[in-house]
Amino acid sequence: MANKLTFDAIVVGGGPAGTSAAITMAKAGLQTILIERGRFAGAKNFFGGVLYTHALDEVLPDWQSRGPALERPVTDTGYWLLSPDSVLRFTQKSERYKKVPAESYTALRANFDPWFAQQAMDLGVLVITKTTVTGFLRDERGRVIGVTTDRPDGDVYAPVVIIGEGVNNLLTQQLGLAKSDLPPRYVALSVKEYLGLPEKEVEARFGLSGPDEGVAIDIFGDVTLGLPGTGFIYTDKAGISIGCGLLLEQLVINNLKPYEILARFKNHPIIKPYLEGAERLEYGAHLIPETGYDRMPALYTDGVMVAGDAAGMVDALHREGTNLAMIAGKMAGETAIEAHKQKNFSAEFLRGYRRRLQDSFVLKDLKQYRRMTDFLDSTPHFMETYVNFANDAAYRYFTAHGMAKRDMEKEIIRLLTRRRSFLGIAVDMIKLLRGMRG
Amino acid sequence: MSEKKRTTLNPALAATLPPTNVDDLLVSVKYYVDEEYAHIRIKDDKVCAECAHHPCLDFCPAGVFTQDRTGKILVGYQACLECGSCRIGCPYQNVDWNLPRGGYGVAYKFG
Repeated sequence: MANKLTFDAIVVGGGPAGTSAAITMAKAGLQTILIERGRFAGAKNFFGGVLYTHALDEVLPDWQSRGPALERPVTDTGYWLLSPDSVLRFTQKSERYKKVPAESYTALRANFDPWFAQQAMDLGVLVITKTTVTGFLRDERGRVIGVTTDRPDGDVYAPVVIIGEGVNNLLTQQLGLAKSDLPPRYVALSVKEYLGLPEKEVEARFGLSGPDEGVAIDIFGDVTLGLPGTGFIYTDKAGISIGCGLLLEQLVINNLKPYEILARFKNHPIIKPYLEGAERLEYGAHLIPETGYDRMPALYTDGVMVAGDAAGMVDALHREGTNLAMIAGKMAGETAIEAHKQKNFSAEFLRGYRRRLQDSFVLKDLKQYRRMTDFLDSTPHFMETYVNFANDAAYRYFTAHGMAKRDMEKEIIRLLTRRRSFLGIAVDMIKLLRGMRG
Repeated sequence: MSEKKRTTLNPALAATLPPTNVDDLLVSVKYYVDEEYAHIRIKDDKVCAECAHHPCLDFCPAGVFTQDRTGKILVGYQACLECGSCRIGCPYQNVDWNLPRGGYGVAYKFG
């Protein structure tokens, strides 16, 4: 090849991490190429639905005027504890959520991600789709100076590469930044259906006054047969996203089909009426890295930084991930800008990326919840025991049987101790507390 | 990995799972199938032959893995949703999983 294809920066992957990095660098005038293996940015992306505007504000302050592809603001949110025949709801709906922009929005990634990538293009990023990055180009000292792709003459050179390749972090592994493949104990497999339903129907069923309201609910208990995992329901503009995720290891050791768990969930007597008559428009599946702080890959090496799912940046407890990815992408981009100013792309210099993350909520939150996945894994009975107890107790509490309330309270205690000893409960609570407090 | 603690699930609960044909779900998915390159491959059929539980037949959300009459595991890579579960979920790391070539594979319409 006569001319080497050379840029100031290469970004691998057109998801929230990669696109945020590309936008950040392009705004500072760096010649940036973003390489995406899908037919368009977002073609491979699939999630259970919420984007956070605080992250958009930081990456693209004028995002609101750029016509973002969002579904509904989240104005009613929380948890449902689902037992085989009941639900106990801990949700909040508030006028406080009704502001423009809202704190978070439901979204569909094959709509949002292309919009986001388009903003990068408008800012001067060269977005190349249908191209899979296969490996790295290195200088004589082994430092990364570019990438190889599956296109003929597809080598691309740049002094800095930002990897936002997603959960299947093959490139991150190739560089040795991830020491091993993802352990199935620390990865959730999520399946989801996007169901079409007229706007008015969505609003009537979920008690929404109009398109400026929406729900985002995480569901625990019977949805995953009591196994470690969650279900979710998000309202879209004219549809419902419903899905569930379990730690992959649980599916493996129990020989479970994820789509049967979802079918069972959809068929639950509490859930079914919400979905009546809705038409399945899409089914899909995706892994969620719940690897946690202690098993995160190294985030940088000579000429390379890693952001988003590829680096395990997911706070599963708060269903956050896209915002961690966007902020990490931005910080990787900022570090690349500094590296260009100093003409220094060494691992030592790129360590500034990790330092930035450490000062932000990204690594602080990941550190705080470092034990969360272990907690779920070591207390597999947790969901079933307490969710079913809570529903039984509530049923007892809300019904009258001509019984003294003191006796009713004793009965509720018995409902609990029948399931779990006081010592067992104490141990569970200590573990939960450790999981929450870090 | 998997042999150390098989199933923690109550069989009565497992019996409540409705048999579901994954093909009914997959008709809603858009694919650009690469007829010339299978991005998933079984590394060694002998390893599958000795695998007791074949979890891949179940956990794959697209039902990519099936068994023929002789017990051999077949790979229908065309239906792959590219989640990557088989790469890490196979107890014997016997699945060679790569990214499809650029532009091929699943292309979500909604995501």
